[in-house]
Amino acid sequence: MVMSLLQTCVHDFHMEQGAKMVDFAGWHMPIQYTSIVSEHKLVRERVGIFDVSHMGQLFVSGRGASSFLSYVTTWDITKLLDGECRYCHILNEEGNIIDDTIVYVFDKENYMLVPNASMVSKVFDWFISKSKNFDVTIDNQSDNNYCFAVQGPEAPRLLRQYSNMSIVPFRLVRSGNTIISGTGYTGEKGYEIMGPLSDSMGVWESFVDMGAIPVGLGARDTLRLEKGYLLSGKDFDGTQSTLESGYGWVIDWNHDFIGRDKLLIQKKKAYSSLKGILLEERGVLRPGQPVFSNNKQISVLTSGSLSPILKRGIGLSYVDISIGSNVTILVRDRHLKGRVIRTPFL
Amino acid sequence: MSEVPENLKYTKDHEWVGPLEKGGVKIGITDYAQDSLSDVVFVELPSKGETFNEGEVMAVAESVKAASDIYAPISGKVVEINEKLEEVPELVNESPYGSGWMVLMEPSDDMSSLISAGSYKDSID
Repeated sequence: MVMSLLQTCVHDFHMEQGAKMVDFAGWHMPIQYTSIVSEHKLVRERVGIFDVSHMGQLFVSGRGASSFLSYVTTWDITKLLDGECRYCHILNEEGNIIDDTIVYVFDKENYMLVPNASMVSKVFDWFISKSKNFDVTIDNQSDNNYCFAVQGPEAPRLLRQYSNMSIVPFRLVRSGNTIISGTGYTGEKGYEIMGPLSDSMGVWESFVDMGAIPVGLGARDTLRLEKGYLLSGKDFDGTQSTLESGYGWVIDWNHDFIGRDKLLIQKKKAYSSLKGILLEERGVLRPGQPVFSNNKQISVLTSGSLSPILKRGIGLSYVDISIGSNVTILVRDRHLKGRVIRTPFL
Repeated sequence: MSEVPENLKYTKDHEWVGPLEKGGVKIGITDYAQDSLSDVVFVELPSKGETFNEGEVMAVAESVKAASDIYAPISGKVVEINEKLEEVPELVNESPYGSGWMVLMEPSDDMSSLISAGSYKDSID
């Protein structure tokens, strides 16, 4: 059987640009337009635009929306202000991460979440199954919206030019059907812009005309890895908790949420946590490579690549040894020296 | 369009082999191969003196996304390696047939399995 891949609203643009395309979570997406390294550097030094329309948009509304979202995420959403965005985790009863997401607060009864492409239906079904005791409506609008990320030091200038606005990090502005937030996945200044599909090409072309360089998912991965951001399905796959992921700061302990009991127990014990691995010899790290400490394998890399900025191999791994420890990473048939470091790498 | 110089020999696995010079032949990967790999960020070369049979993995070129094995296009002994690639692996992208060469090999066979520029061109069209 041949499964046809989903296409985003600006798929034609990617094809016309001659981008290298890949299957990403069932979507036909650009991995690079020119080169991952040059696109990566353009985002660090200037400004790039990413088509991330494959990501989901779940709208949660109703009188019980804020208490519902507080129950199904690690953050107490009732405390957030209108126009705020908050990064948090959605956990199962075991305290393990189902997905990470940003919660957008329009007002006390209207919210939006942006789950990862591969997790949209899973998160939607999970929310529906947990919503019985709440006065809440959950609307999956993932197929009806575009989402573009404009990222890089020049992003604020482009936004001013586009809309005469400035938006601070983790705030959002809603103008008609368009939502612009001070969020991203690169560690640079930038925005994510969402709206109905009919507007998508115009918005994309406006930013490209203003000088935003199209950037593919390849550079998106190296940019996020340099900052130690988690990749859904790789750095967590349903078997690691928020504490283990090293993102304990996204937990507000002073509220009741799914997974809290298990996290409280885990908190009192020793556990492996996701840490950075910096290669101290030449080479490139890859997910799946074994990590050794004192000649014994202790883990595998969940993410790995070469930092185009540091020009060093970098990776992430769940390890129970402390920051600063020496390790080796088995790359093909050789043990290369590395060190456990606190992320971000950059 | 990939460049395929007429004066070189090729393998279907996208390696090129240069004409005999000071006791060896230069070996590298083709323009087509470097373009498919995209940004080469690391090259693992063999050591001087290592011997390979045709078809054995001789080196590895890594891009940001993937590692690709490079096979010995002929049987022989490595007499020289391009040490510049340690510092500047992107030479493989910038000049695959020039400063991006990988090893100089002393052939121990007649290299009759190599294909001409014309046949290689046909194989990548």
